[in-house]
Amino acid sequence: MNFSTSIAPPWLARLFRDHSAALLSLLYIAVGLIWLLIDDLALTVWMSGAAPALPSALKNAVVIIASGGLLYGLLRIHIRTTQRARQAQQESEERLLRARDDLETRVQERMAELLAMNRALEQQMAAHIQMEIALRDSEERFRQLAEHIREVFWVYGIAEERLLYVSPAYEDIWGRPLQGFHDRPLDWLEAVHPDDQPRIYAAHIDKHRLGHLNEEYRIVRPDGTIRWIWDRGFPVRDETGYVYRIAGLAEDITARKLAEDQLRRQQADLARMSRLSLAVELASNLAHELNQPLAAIVAYTQAGLTLLRQGRTDPRELMETFEEVVNQGLRAGEIIRHVRALVQRHAALQAPLDINALLHAVIHYAELELRQARIDLRLELAESLPKALAGNLQIQLVALYLIRNALEAMQEVPEESRQLTVRTQLSDRDWVLVTIHDTGHGLSPEATKRLFQPFFTTKPGGMGLGLPVSRSIIEGQGGQLWATPNPEGGVSFCFTLPVYCPRSVL
Amino acid sequence: MNSTPTVFLTDDDPAIRDAVELLLRTNELAVETFASAVDFLESDAVQRPGCLLLDVRMPGMSGLDLQKRLQEIGCRTPIIFMTGHGDVPMAIRAMKAGAFDFVEKPFQAQALLSRIHEALALNARERRRQARRNDVATRLALLSPREREVMERVAAGQYNKVIAAELGISISTVEIHRKRVMEKLQAASLSDLIQMLALVDGD
Repeated sequence: MNFSTSIAPPWLARLFRDHSAALLSLLYIAVGLIWLLIDDLALTVWMSGAAPALPSALKNAVVIIASGGLLYGLLRIHIRTTQRARQAQQESEERLLRARDDLETRVQERMAELLAMNRALEQQMAAHIQMEIALRDSEERFRQLAEHIREVFWVYGIAEERLLYVSPAYEDIWGRPLQGFHDRPLDWLEAVHPDDQPRIYAAHIDKHRLGHLNEEYRIVRPDGTIRWIWDRGFPVRDETGYVYRIAGLAEDITARKLAEDQLRRQQADLARMSRLSLAVELASNLAHELNQPLAAIVAYTQAGLTLLRQGRTDPRELMETFEEVVNQGLRAGEIIRHVRALVQRHAALQAPLDINALLHAVIHYAELELRQARIDLRLELAESLPKALAGNLQIQLVALYLIRNALEAMQEVPEESRQLTVRTQLSDRDWVLVTIHDTGHGLSPEATKRLFQPFFTTKPGGMGLGLPVSRSIIEGQGGQLWATPNPEGGVSFCFTLPVYCPRSVL
Repeated sequence: MNSTPTVFLTDDDPAIRDAVELLLRTNELAVETFASAVDFLESDAVQRPGCLLLDVRMPGMSGLDLQKRLQEIGCRTPIIFMTGHGDVPMAIRAMKAGAFDFVEKPFQAQALLSRIHEALALNARERRRQARRNDVATRLALLSPREREVMERVAAGQYNKVIAAELGISISTVEIHRKRVMEKLQAASLSDLIQMLALVDGD
């Protein structure tokens, strides 16, 4: 307020500012008092003075005008000061408003800029999203394919020397987390069965060069179960035809493999059953039949011994017992004679035989056993071998028996030195010679001597009948069966059969 | 009915029957022979004390079939199987089905005899136990329903006071029932009573 700063001392200005209403009231009271004073003074002057004639109305009017003028003057001052104050306030308010307007325009300008930028960004984004959607569509299709097929889909980068993509089926089939590939790029290979690992590692190295892969192998899952995998890889070329990636599928073929094995085993069992039934039945019947009289003989003899031990030596009682022992011994002999007659009857069925074909057939149905025994099988079959005259079934039986025998003999030797050679040749023009050569543990001199004796065996659980029965079969066909130790270890079993000569039949 | 523990020898081979019978008789055992499983089943031997010496492989009803049939009719005569060469799988099946033992033909007399004696002892023990069980069951049948209620609570270890409250009778009545239960069952003590009940519960 101008008044307070220019004319009045600071304390009065403060008084005015803080207590203007009270001051105003004081002012009115002061004016009232002045009015009364003037009224009184005028009356006194009038009473003592010269103009008593002046009417009291005039006197009153003078007083009113005087005091009214004073009041008016005061009011003017007050109005002016308040007006000035309002003006000052208005001015400062206006300045503020101007400042605000300024700010607002600036903000709006900035806002417009931002909006523009935003719009541009949005447009960019929309374009990007559209691209992404397009990309995702194609990627989605790929992922749907890759993630929902039961096979493991993989992509291998040749330059990167690692797998670039492996589909989630890996976790199902391998039973190992996909993250494993981060630390160990050959995670999948670590799971491969130790027996298959060298082969598969070699195939893995080769695929860099060839761009192809086609392998079956076993994996061992963390829970110890084994699965069969069929893994195929195909080259992916760039524009210049250079193979820079290999894409592949690894399929779990365990069920199929098991079914195949099962089928093969069943076939083998069936074949074995039907072809060996004769020998097995003979042997088992023989054993059972012989057991009865044997058990009786043992029981009779033990009863006799008990009687003797008890001093009950009634000759009649003992005689009866020993007669029974003799009877049972004779019964056993009768059983053996019967069996021999049975074998001889079967030997009569002779026919011209292609021995090479016969050996192929035997090896074919022993395939599973050969595979399981992990044996290197070599066939050295003479070409244009003349036919032999023999009983098909019996010779198959002997060949199979000798092959099995060789497999068993090689069980104990290391896998890499297990070698089975089956050889045929013409010997002295009149004989077909078959050799089954193994690299097994060989034979002791004692074993060589007793090899063809019935019930001699080196196999746990063996009956010791295989070789004597085989020899009697071959001899029944007019040939010979013998064994010779190999100079480099192992044994060769050889048998001969007469060459079929049509003239001899005529 | 003959109550001498007897070896019931069942084999289709007459020579085995004759030889083994002689062997067992010379070793002071009572023996009866049967030529087939059906012959044995249809005889009174099924109920008599003893053991069964049974050939596993017989024409018609085999030893295993007979074992199954005997179990079905509740005959607990112990069975010793005689097996021939290559009958091991059958012997295993027989053992799993609860056979006492098996011997392989031809057998050592001493081994067979000791197994037979063990089987006879087992059968005798089981029969005594069964007889006692039947005895207890007969005596239990003599109890009135009220006495039975009191007995069950006594056996469960309840005090007379509690029993009286639960059954809504006076303590002296409980005591009278209790005394009569002990008399009818011929039980000398509470532990005697509990043993009897355990025997019957085992059924």
